[in-house]
Amino acid sequence: MSDWSKVTRPIPVPNEWTKPFWEAAKQGELKLQRCQECRRFQHPPYATCVNCMSVDLKFESVSGKGAIYAYTIMYHTGDKRFAPAVPYASIIVELDDAPGALMAGNLLDAEYTEAKVGRRVEVTFQPLNDDFTLPQFRLAPGA
Amino acid sequence: MWESRCKIALSGVGFSKATRAAEIPLAAHALYAVKEAVADSGLNLSDIDGLTTYPELPATGHAEVDGISIVSVNCMMAMLKLPNLSWHIQTGSVNIGGAVQQAVNALLAGVCKYAVVWRAMHNPKGTYQNLPGTYAQGALQFTAPYGFGGPGQGMAVAYTRYLEKNNQKRDKMVTLAVTQRKHGLRNPHSYFKDPLTPKDYFDSRMVAYPFCLYDCDIPVQGAVAIVLTTAERARDLKPQPAYLAGYGERLRFETAGRIGSLANYMEGGRSSAELTWARSGFGPKDVDVAQIYDGFSASVMYGLESYGFCKEGEGLDFIQDGRIELDGELPLNTFGGSLSTGRIHGLWHIIEGALQASGRAGERQVKDVNVSFVGASAPIVTGTTFIFVKEPY
Repeated sequence: MSDWSKVTRPIPVPNEWTKPFWEAAKQGELKLQRCQECRRFQHPPYATCVNCMSVDLKFESVSGKGAIYAYTIMYHTGDKRFAPAVPYASIIVELDDAPGALMAGNLLDAEYTEAKVGRRVEVTFQPLNDDFTLPQFRLAPGA
Repeated sequence: MWESRCKIALSGVGFSKATRAAEIPLAAHALYAVKEAVADSGLNLSDIDGLTTYPELPATGHAEVDGISIVSVNCMMAMLKLPNLSWHIQTGSVNIGGAVQQAVNALLAGVCKYAVVWRAMHNPKGTYQNLPGTYAQGALQFTAPYGFGGPGQGMAVAYTRYLEKNNQKRDKMVTLAVTQRKHGLRNPHSYFKDPLTPKDYFDSRMVAYPFCLYDCDIPVQGAVAIVLTTAERARDLKPQPAYLAGYGERLRFETAGRIGSLANYMEGGRSSAELTWARSGFGPKDVDVAQIYDGFSASVMYGLESYGFCKEGEGLDFIQDGRIELDGELPLNTFGGSLSTGRIHGLWHIIEGALQASGRAGERQVKDVNVSFVGASAPIVTGTTFIFVKEPY
């Protein structure tokens, strides 16, 4: 299992579009940007709704349940900060509540070989420091 | 069909010696390649009146220093001091193929007569793809904290989706790597000089699953260049011209920072190819030889499928059984691809497409080529496509 305890991750720098995402994550909640006109979720956050061009966008809670859309297993230790975790799974998740919105994460608490397209996962929260918490993913019970 | 079909031709080509490390400044590579392309056409530098490039450094986390890690139009102007220069530009929304298309448009508009396009690629010291430093800004804030670094990983996630959705096996990609290297050994400008065996492929270290070492092009320091001119002028120059029958560029873009989307690659390729088929009047069945961008092996599959050479999900089967050999049904990446020349991006693919059309590909020349297809640019999401022909009918 990948050892994340010695990994120093880059710290996100929120901007005007993304701040509510990180504020919610710090509270242990997953909120994604949602168009108030066509009701579609999108991620990463953007200035406009890329579906209907509306500018009326708000962050709303999602359940955090979804499936692995795609993944890669990293072996290359180019960035030494991630070397202690190699090999590790970086995954892309499509949430049940937000079809089409794709979120990046790592597969935590599981062997990297468990990453497969379509595997059910759920969100979990990993504190990065006093200010930031990363939404992350682990296998859903029974997955 | 395009009213400017076959009115522009690719004439001279030039290459610097690609090296693994930056032994001489990148600007010197670019200068060498440009001078060689101009000489190959039988022209003098004073004839050149148009300049364009796409100067981006794809390595992440390194400074863009003009002349050292990129070679901009300004840098080239300073080096060449062209007395008759009348037009120049740099592109951004598409890759180097977009610069070639801009030169074509400038020639058609009559604002220059002989345009030079170059692509200079730097291999920085240290790690090629660095994650951002302590902080992840912009779109990277959603990817870098999870250990997503450069384009290799972005392509790798799309590739797992591709393989598992289509019930395909990565082992089949060995045919592409081995065949391209075989082609590359017939290219005097290839970076790799030794054959690649299936055992080498399977024994190589994994980089970002499903990509092993030989699925990735090797970063090098080097430059290539071309001369474009009108068909009429090209006929009076030294080399046999390769006539441009049509081109296209990708018309779709998903928001920045969205990774793992296979649809992004496929729709980019499809939209670019559709323009190219319609403008040229040709279809995939008419193509005699194809160059498809191969910075990472999987992009060849996305290209073969989205351009219409085979059905979606069948690329890994299509490349088997000798089909992509020099005497196969669709000779592919006949110069060895980026997997053989090193990371020079799509201008090499454009050069080879033109050399095959004009019968100038030497030991790797495919027999009886008229229609020569190119899917340039890295990755396919900033892609462009071209068709060169031998006979301008």
